Amino acid sequence: MREDNVVAKVIGKPIVKLIDVEIGYKNGETLVKIPDLEIFPGEIVAIAGPSGVGKTTLLRTIAGLVRSISGTVEVCGRVVPHRPKRGKLGYIPQKLGLVRHASVMHNVMLGANAGQKKEIIHRNKYIQMFSNSVLSLFPSTKAKRKSRDAIEKMRLTDKIGEPIRRLSGGQQRRVATARTLAQEPALILADEFLSELDDETMETVLRGVVTYVKNNNAALLVVEHDVSRAKSMADRLLVIDDGRINPFITEVTMLEVKV
Amino acid sequence: MITLKSKFISLSLILIMFSFSILNGMVDDWGRLSGGIENLFIFFGESLWPPDWSVLEPQNYPVCTTYPLFDFTCSTAWIGMTETIKIAFVSTIFGSIISLPISILAARNLSSLSLSYFARIVLAAARSLPSIIWAIFFVILVGFGPLSGVLAMTIYTVGYLGKLQYEAIEGMNNVPLESARSMGLSKIEIATGVVIPEMANSLISQMIFMFEYNVRHGTVIGIVGAGGIGYYINLYLKFLQYDKVISYLIIIFIVVLIIDFLSISARSYFNEEGDISKPSWWDLFIPKMKRVG
Repeated sequence: MREDNVVAKVIGKPIVKLIDVEIGYKNGETLVKIPDLEIFPGEIVAIAGPSGVGKTTLLRTIAGLVRSISGTVEVCGRVVPHRPKRGKLGYIPQKLGLVRHASVMHNVMLGANAGQKKEIIHRNKYIQMFSNSVLSLFPSTKAKRKSRDAIEKMRLTDKIGEPIRRLSGGQQRRVATARTLAQEPALILADEFLSELDDETMETVLRGVVTYVKNNNAALLVVEHDVSRAKSMADRLLVIDDGRINPFITEVTMLEVKV
Repeated sequence: MITLKSKFISLSLILIMFSFSILNGMVDDWGRLSGGIENLFIFFGESLWPPDWSVLEPQNYPVCTTYPLFDFTCSTAWIGMTETIKIAFVSTIFGSIISLPISILAARNLSSLSLSYFARIVLAAARSLPSIIWAIFFVILVGFGPLSGVLAMTIYTVGYLGKLQYEAIEGMNNVPLESARSMGLSKIEIATGVVIPEMANSLISQMIFMFEYNVRHGTVIGIVGAGGIGYYINLYLKFLQYDKVISYLIIIFIVVLIIDFLSISARSYFNEEGDISKPSWWDLFIPKMKRVG
């Protein structure tokens, strides 16, 4: 697996590219400085560090939800503020961001819909946007199948029609993961997505995500406050300390993955 | 030391005195008040009481076309009240269907600044006139009858409900929106897939509140000829038959009370959060008794 990674790094273009990026508050106060960071296809990168140093803000910057103070942020071949192509970026926030009053299937279908390719092409940008939006309201059978597969992978098939608010914290986390897997993104950003999970559930979630990343040559950037857990799953560990990112490559002690 | 409490008391006193001074400036003769109370007793004793319940009996006009189960369903009170409720119902449904897309455009967390201001101006324009003024306007346009009532109330509902809706949408949790946006979902998908399901309970609860509000206001718009029970109230006011008017008012009071009660119970059904079990529909009509002992 390590070998594959090295090959991917050589031939693939980076999915995330940050050059001289400063991240911080609107008043100009800097939290994190990143001179240079590249994340390649098939790579799992973990960001660790004490709370409040700006791990989540870094993730949100890459997701395009906040602007960096300076520097260039390039995600999936597009420079922020231009968003990556539809469905290329999957984001699992710490608070999950599920639609609480809707069913598990509805939530996962949101991801699968985002992963669907837009089909109508028109010379007028607005007509194209509108017609594709209307089209996306009617999900294809392919999207439905993808959602069912993702739900099955996360072992939630018996909860498929349940509203999210009736699920436990761990089950909700699995729904958020299933949503991202159904989306089939090129880059997954996950914010503490393994916290408050029991060991068995954690393995289900982690195996699902890692298998997806390795099989589809996607990249995973995960924020993790627990350094030992971060080491255990990542190819590379970035530690944010004193507002600077110190990249160093750890020995790869990957989780045993059955493919 | 000036405490918060004393500040509050002195501020209240200042406000009350200020209001009285304004009132004093507007009223030229305070002696009229004493006459007013006497007039109230005379008016109430001679003209209003006892109510004339003949309004609940079938009349020659409006003509009863169907053979009713009960006689009183041919009375003006029944016909007027049901018409008011029908107007309120129809205009609540139409109004909320129209206001939902406008309020999504007006919510700052979903649309751009210019679009949201435009939508807000539309909603404010619909809300700025009370429904009775809209009713006068539509009576001029389409003539007397329930149609102008429905149009007037629909427009007012769009303005009022739209404001409630966009404020609710702006108050919603930001995380589902952010994750949907970063996934690359379009605005229409975010609105239909995230916002409406997430806000469904409060949107339905606001709709029920609006229906209740429309029933209360629907009694008034008949006075200008826009249908409903207000038409008959206006008619008997003109003929100085105050004993009939008071019986209409009592009927309105009872109906509004019942609808208020049903609305509160129905809204509590939709306000439930998390693990609290839903009441059954039966409980809405007959509340559960507290178990004694």
